[in-house]
Amino acid sequence: MKRKFTAFDKVIIAFAAFFFIAPLIAAAEYSARGYGDKGHTFANYSWIVHQLGFSPALLTSLRIAAITILIVLVLMVPTVVYVHLGGRRYRRLVEILCLLPIVIPVVSLAIGAQVAMPKSLQSTSYELCFFYVVVAMPYVYRTLDIGLQSVALSTLVEASQSLGADWFKTLTMVIIPAIRSSTTGALFITFALSLGEYTLAVLLHFHTFPTWATNVSQQNIYGSIAISVTTLGGAWIFLIVIAFIPRIKSLFAQRKRVA
Amino acid sequence: MVIADELTSPIPTRGGRGTSRSTPKFKFDKSLLGLLPLFLFLGYFLLYPIASIISASIHDNKHHLTLSLYGNLFSGNYRDAFTGSFKLAFYSMIVSGIAGALICWSVVKTTGVVRTITSSAAGVLANTGGVPLAFMFIAAFGQEGLITKLLLHVFHWDLYGGSFDLYNFWGILLVYCFFQIPLMVIIFTPALENLRVEWIEANESLGGTKFQYFRHVLIPVLLPSFLSACLLLFASAFSAFATAAAMSNGSIPLVPLFIGNLVNGNVIAGQENQGDAMAMGMVIVSLFVIAAYLLLLRVTRKR
Amino acid sequence: MDLHGSTVEFRNVKRTFGTVKALDDFSLTIKPGELVTLLGPSGCGKTTALRILAGIDKEHEGIVEIDGKDMSQVPANKRNIGMVFQAYSLFPNMTAIENVAYGLRVRGVDSHKRESRARELLDLVGLSTQADRRPTQLSGGQQQRVALARALAIEPSVLLLDEPLSALDAQVRAQLREEIRRIQSTIGISTLFVTHDQEEAMAISDRVGVMNKGVLEQIDEPGKLYNKPRTPFVAGFVGLTNYIPAVTESKSLVLVLSQSLEISDHSPAVKKGDEVRALIRPEEFEVQKADEGATVITKSFLGPVTRLGIDVGTPDLIYAEITSKEAKKIDTGDFVRLSISSDAVMIEHV
Repeated sequence: MKRKFTAFDKVIIAFAAFFFIAPLIAAAEYSARGYGDKGHTFANYSWIVHQLGFSPALLTSLRIAAITILIVLVLMVPTVVYVHLGGRRYRRLVEILCLLPIVIPVVSLAIGAQVAMPKSLQSTSYELCFFYVVVAMPYVYRTLDIGLQSVALSTLVEASQSLGADWFKTLTMVIIPAIRSSTTGALFITFALSLGEYTLAVLLHFHTFPTWATNVSQQNIYGSIAISVTTLGGAWIFLIVIAFIPRIKSLFAQRKRVA
Repeated sequence: MVIADELTSPIPTRGGRGTSRSTPKFKFDKSLLGLLPLFLFLGYFLLYPIASIISASIHDNKHHLTLSLYGNLFSGNYRDAFTGSFKLAFYSMIVSGIAGALICWSVVKTTGVVRTITSSAAGVLANTGGVPLAFMFIAAFGQEGLITKLLLHVFHWDLYGGSFDLYNFWGILLVYCFFQIPLMVIIFTPALENLRVEWIEANESLGGTKFQYFRHVLIPVLLPSFLSACLLLFASAFSAFATAAAMSNGSIPLVPLFIGNLVNGNVIAGQENQGDAMAMGMVIVSLFVIAAYLLLLRVTRKR
Repeated sequence: MDLHGSTVEFRNVKRTFGTVKALDDFSLTIKPGELVTLLGPSGCGKTTALRILAGIDKEHEGIVEIDGKDMSQVPANKRNIGMVFQAYSLFPNMTAIENVAYGLRVRGVDSHKRESRARELLDLVGLSTQADRRPTQLSGGQQQRVALARALAIEPSVLLLDEPLSALDAQVRAQLREEIRRIQSTIGISTLFVTHDQEEAMAISDRVGVMNKGVLEQIDEPGKLYNKPRTPFVAGFVGLTNYIPAVTESKSLVLVLSQSLEISDHSPAVKKGDEVRALIRPEEFEVQKADEGATVITKSFLGPVTRLGIDVGTPDLIYAEITSKEAKKIDTGDFVRLSISSDAVMIEHV
């Protein structure tokens, strides 16, 4: 039984909706203003694309995100699966280790990277990949762990082996399909984080898309707001897609069953 | 960008039983080998950098052991920065904590599509930050912003009539609310979902009034979760860098901005390692807050 | 303990949710000190009746009285009714004893008095050693005992039990229901118990009311309900019943398994040659070993009796219960002859 939805609740929700939606509308309107009150225009949006460094910055960010994802895939996925299968008793230890980065403010991590990392690594923007893996680790771990808990992996593996499957078949036919959705979730989070991360990039003096956007913003107020509308919009669509992935998947599953 | 919702959901994890604690003598276990890659990675990219900061922060520029760098944190500009960060984190915790709890109270009563939209919106908004967020607020609440104009022309309220400025303390606080309130909604929702209608009905049948239900049941039940959620808000606001950097142009003393400045080479001669001490100061504050959070969480889970 | 029993009366109470009639012209009297159970499948309206009496559900027509006093203007927190819920109703921030004392606390009873009263009640439910535990540190059965003590602490005029055992294990459930009955009859409090478990209802009640789709079909002592059901629904819901295809021979006779039997009083009106179903309980059969005829398909040992599943050519197996001693002679695969031993059978239209 649900508690009653009162007029008080409506007022609260209305206020909240205003506080969170109004700035978005305001920014969208502002970004479409022209210089000298010439009505509304998309000029500010095309201005973004024509700024120096737009595509190199975006490409750098995409490359960093891709490598970060690769490291997560190679390092985190096998480790968490391993903890769920063989090294069960180390689960608590691994959990603490993986959640540790939460306690370290990113600013402090940036200082540490500057002090400790060898010059050869600091001279390339791929240094960021490793630290993005660190920053993303708590979320990646939680996503994978919750996903694996819900599929009771070790029971599945035992069942598969008792039915006569060898390790290779168990891996390809049981483990990989079972962890696919939580892995996808973890990779999406990593991707979003690496594309939007600003603090480490700016403190370690690399030129990624967020730092480029910040620099360009100082030249043209309308253009900068257009940039923020674009990046926020992009990030939100992306995050909404993540939030809806389970639903979309079940939708497809239903379709299949009907067909 | 802070992706906080997965982390803070207080799902008690199973397992953890029968850890190495039960073995009396340390014996090398081969199954640890499978965890070697993780140990090496975290050792090099997390623990080594932190150890380096610690080491740097207790040496002066002549490589002598000293704690004076930490002593400096309690005076002058450094102290101002810590005070500023504490103040911002504290105010943001209070405002976002209360507003977020109220919104959460109403949101958990919704069902179906409305619920799906609000919960995914909270997830999305809590992860918004940095320059894009700052410029969105400039467009909305700035001198030329749409909301500023709306308030002036429709409600005849001049936002800039008083001491408000988007670039001062109160402006930053307003901007922080935009991601802190949704963060609160995410963290606090499970606590409210665990409330049972039976408690309201039991209170009624036992002769209690609504007020007595609030005073003796609802508030005591929610308080630990509320406080622990507030601590996370504090930690999040205390260490936020991107949004502060975009908003303040260095006009407000905040620890993350100060460290940023030091990293960018604005170092006073003879205090090269001061940034390291500050960074450690932040880690220590953060450790304390998270420790308090975990302690409170244990209280809630015992229930 | 000096609780006196109150009289509870429902008169023509109606309650609808949208278009669904949760309660339809519901009338019931609970005599002082009596334990009345409302039994029925989920959604039959039994819980609605209980919630209306508690004052939690206020949107109903008709009259509810306690000791002759109309309750319609009395809010839930002034009705002085003790209520035990399905589960999770203990306040998690309070210890067992604090929970029990809560009703007295909100009444402004001083702390000394309410503690001794709460201890008394915890003692009554056998939990005096667990007084300082929190709800999560108690087992499900213990939690429900505390909930019972809490409900009784305010010396209510009526006790309401809303499926208090449904969340517990079978063993705890059987034990606790006896204890509820013991405590209830010691105190002598008028009690309304709601459940979907017929065994539970039959075991502890003075009278059981069987409900179906918002209607109270029959209210009677457990034995009568079982032996003299007044509607086919009651006959089917209380106890295990076989539905056997049959044909009427006249207005008062029916042919079941080639045996001519009298139709019972509460059966619907029929004419000669109607196709009907006869409702026959498993223990109403006599089973004899034969050389041909029906075949025994299943055999389950239930302690003193054994239940046989017999194929007589009807779509469903017929279940017959005989003493386990007799059953020793019969095995699955054997041929048997079935006869019905009762004088009158209930029938219903197909």
